[in-house]
Amino acid sequence: MILLGEFALWIALPVGIWGAVLGFVGGRKQRGDLVLSGERSVYAVFFLLILTSAGIITAFLTDRFEYWYVANYSNRELDTYFKIAGLWAGQRGSLVFWALLLSLFSSIAVFTNRHKNREFMPYVVGVLLSITSFFLVVLLFGDVNPFERLPFAPANGRGLNPQLQSYWMTMHPPTLYLGFTAFTIPFAFAISALLKGELDTRWIVITRRWTLISWFFLANGIILGMRWAYEELGWGGFWFWDPVENASLLPWLTATAFLHSIQIQENRGMLKVWNMSLVTLTFLLTIFATFLTRSGLIESVHTFAENTQIALIFLSFMGVVAGICLLLIVWRYPMLKSENQIQSFISREAAFLFNNLFLLGIAFAVMWGTLLPLISEWLTGQAITVGPPFFNRVNLPIGMALLALTGVGPVIAWRRASRRNLARNFRMPVALGMIVVAALYLSGARNGMALLTFGLAAFVVTIIFVEFVKGTKARASIEGEGPAIALLHLVGRNRRRWGGYIVHVGVVLIFTAFAGAAFDRKVVQTLDPGDTVTIESPFGHEYTLTYQGLSSPRGQNMLRQAVALMTVEKNGRPFGTLTAEKRLYLTWETPVTEVGIRSSFLEDLYLILENVSDLGGAFENSAEAQRATFEVQVNILVGWIWYGGLVVSIGSLIGMWPSRGQATVGPRTKIGAKQPALAAKGP
Amino acid sequence: MALILGAILVAAGVMLFVLIPILRGEWASLERTGHEVAERDARKTVALRGLRDAEYDYRAGKLNQEDYGALKAEMGREALAAIEEPGETTEGELEAEIARAHKGLAEGRTCGSCGHLNVTGSKFCAGCGGPLGKGSADETLASG
Repeated sequence: MILLGEFALWIALPVGIWGAVLGFVGGRKQRGDLVLSGERSVYAVFFLLILTSAGIITAFLTDRFEYWYVANYSNRELDTYFKIAGLWAGQRGSLVFWALLLSLFSSIAVFTNRHKNREFMPYVVGVLLSITSFFLVVLLFGDVNPFERLPFAPANGRGLNPQLQSYWMTMHPPTLYLGFTAFTIPFAFAISALLKGELDTRWIVITRRWTLISWFFLANGIILGMRWAYEELGWGGFWFWDPVENASLLPWLTATAFLHSIQIQENRGMLKVWNMSLVTLTFLLTIFATFLTRSGLIESVHTFAENTQIALIFLSFMGVVAGICLLLIVWRYPMLKSENQIQSFISREAAFLFNNLFLLGIAFAVMWGTLLPLISEWLTGQAITVGPPFFNRVNLPIGMALLALTGVGPVIAWRRASRRNLARNFRMPVALGMIVVAALYLSGARNGMALLTFGLAAFVVTIIFVEFVKGTKARASIEGEGPAIALLHLVGRNRRRWGGYIVHVGVVLIFTAFAGAAFDRKVVQTLDPGDTVTIESPFGHEYTLTYQGLSSPRGQNMLRQAVALMTVEKNGRPFGTLTAEKRLYLTWETPVTEVGIRSSFLEDLYLILENVSDLGGAFENSAEAQRATFEVQVNILVGWIWYGGLVVSIGSLIGMWPSRGQATVGPRTKIGAKQPALAAKGP
Repeated sequence: MALILGAILVAAGVMLFVLIPILRGEWASLERTGHEVAERDARKTVALRGLRDAEYDYRAGKLNQEDYGALKAEMGREALAAIEEPGETTEGELEAEIARAHKGLAEGRTCGSCGHLNVTGSKFCAGCGGPLGKGSADETLASG
């Protein structure tokens, strides 16, 4: 199986190149047989990459340490679960996994379009297989072959980085990769549209759902990553502006901008060049994120990478893609002219445009901060790094403006909003926002930015709530339906719009959670068994933690574990126990921290075992080695990130769910329907 | 041995699968089919949907009468322009389509929500189930 997998990887490359060439040639010469062969190559590459992935997983499951990749990312004691996840644990497997997911999505795109949108398909196949082939070339010739053998077979492997041995970690990378690769489909259609000169809104309508799918996975991937950081890294937070976190955020930001601005193109025929640029940029950023994670170009908590040479290959690829796209856009510029002008800066179009500019502003700032070490090192020989303060200072104000637009966008009038329109729609939400700010201020909250966020959150939620109420009422009165049915039909009839509003509510929850962090409390204390530490919550109550001592049980795949036990009291009443750990894995030298978390709706009690005075003694269950330093935190509203993530997911699922009547844009009365697809005819 | 056999099988199978269309002369269609949305159709739908949204905004109290009237007139003109814009159909079909659309709009049979052209006498849209006549595209024509 393993050898067959290796063999399949080698065959996949010529098949991929063959299909890519045939896609372009077949499209140029209008040869249906060549295009069909190209499309079949897409399925064939997918099949071959399944064999390759099965080969890699088999190597992991059967502990074949003669393979470099298995020896470096697994050991005999590793859980089966994590052995399967070995496919995406390291750079080499990740690249295979990326190509596999891309070929999966390519196959779905080719299959679902086998009877429609045929004029786009030749170049779509060409673009998709070119990108897949690029990944295959990297795998086979970039010194990252997952099937590379060692001169000898070690008795055991080095094991998987313990921080990656987490439930969240098995989910986070695949989810992100699904998002990255799914975006290649809209990109391929965009390039096909440019090549064909079919630059009306069709490519956007065709790929709208793909864009949503990609966005859905990106958003979930990022949130899963936050969850992982919060539970596993033991730093007490969920976001550190780490280069790789930033890299995953970048395509999400531009994809969000794209999702919004295509609505302007659909409705008003504007922003065509802008949308082409955004789809290209987002695609490039997905590639950038992929290689940054696995290249080791910039130091980060994700330094799981080993081959920096790959960075050069990827950068060249991105350069070539960017160059081609730029040329295509310039070539087709006359066809990309706007059909309408923005009539007023106080209009929904303008709100969308500002939303785009702000999102790109954040993307640019994040990009700059991420690449600064690299650029400065290149220019001055010294790497200058910027930390969270830079990112927060730049992005907070822009984030606030975006949050405000989340509320303004849905209700401001198209074309131009009159003063009456503004007054009518914004009076109550603004008043409610101000009441929330005043109430929080009076109850003692003093952080300006956080207060502004809470105020804006109230403003946006009110607007969306009123939208739902008014919409349901209007529907009920027009159709004569009861409120529940009216609401259901309202959402069902325009899922993208109402799903979008639900996503906005999720985003508001997440922003509120970020603002909550301004009120976090933290105490660091060194304790002996029996000692207590007290921490006050900003909500007025008080936690008292009593240190009971360390114990050292044995776990699978772990050399030693030191578990600290705390009993917790809330306002003097028993509130259960919390444990925090230091773990030493069999194959890893540095001890790993496991935090204890007690979650409630408004706050988390978060315990980190920061330091054990005599870790060796503690591992031996020694009574003398019990002194330890703890960090206790009360993290405000952290849970709202996960709730918000859930709401975002539900909203985007509603938005992308296929619905009768809106799957295609056109009216149902059609003229001159012809029978499509495969007609056997001689060349 | 089994491995070599497997490899040969995979390679041969893949090659055959990929090459068959060329060998047997099977052609995939490369034409836009009539089932698909033409740009003209898309614009028409967008124009009609814009009208529907404006009406909805008006009824929901987000637009007052004056703003709604102005917006409706403007969008109505655009909707009509989109319908009358020549598409990729033959001239006869186009004429017929325009005539039907005009008639449908005048009689209130073209659905203001989804653009579906309903048979004469319909009270509800066969496309989306919404009611026809009152508050649909016919009012638009009158003011546009």
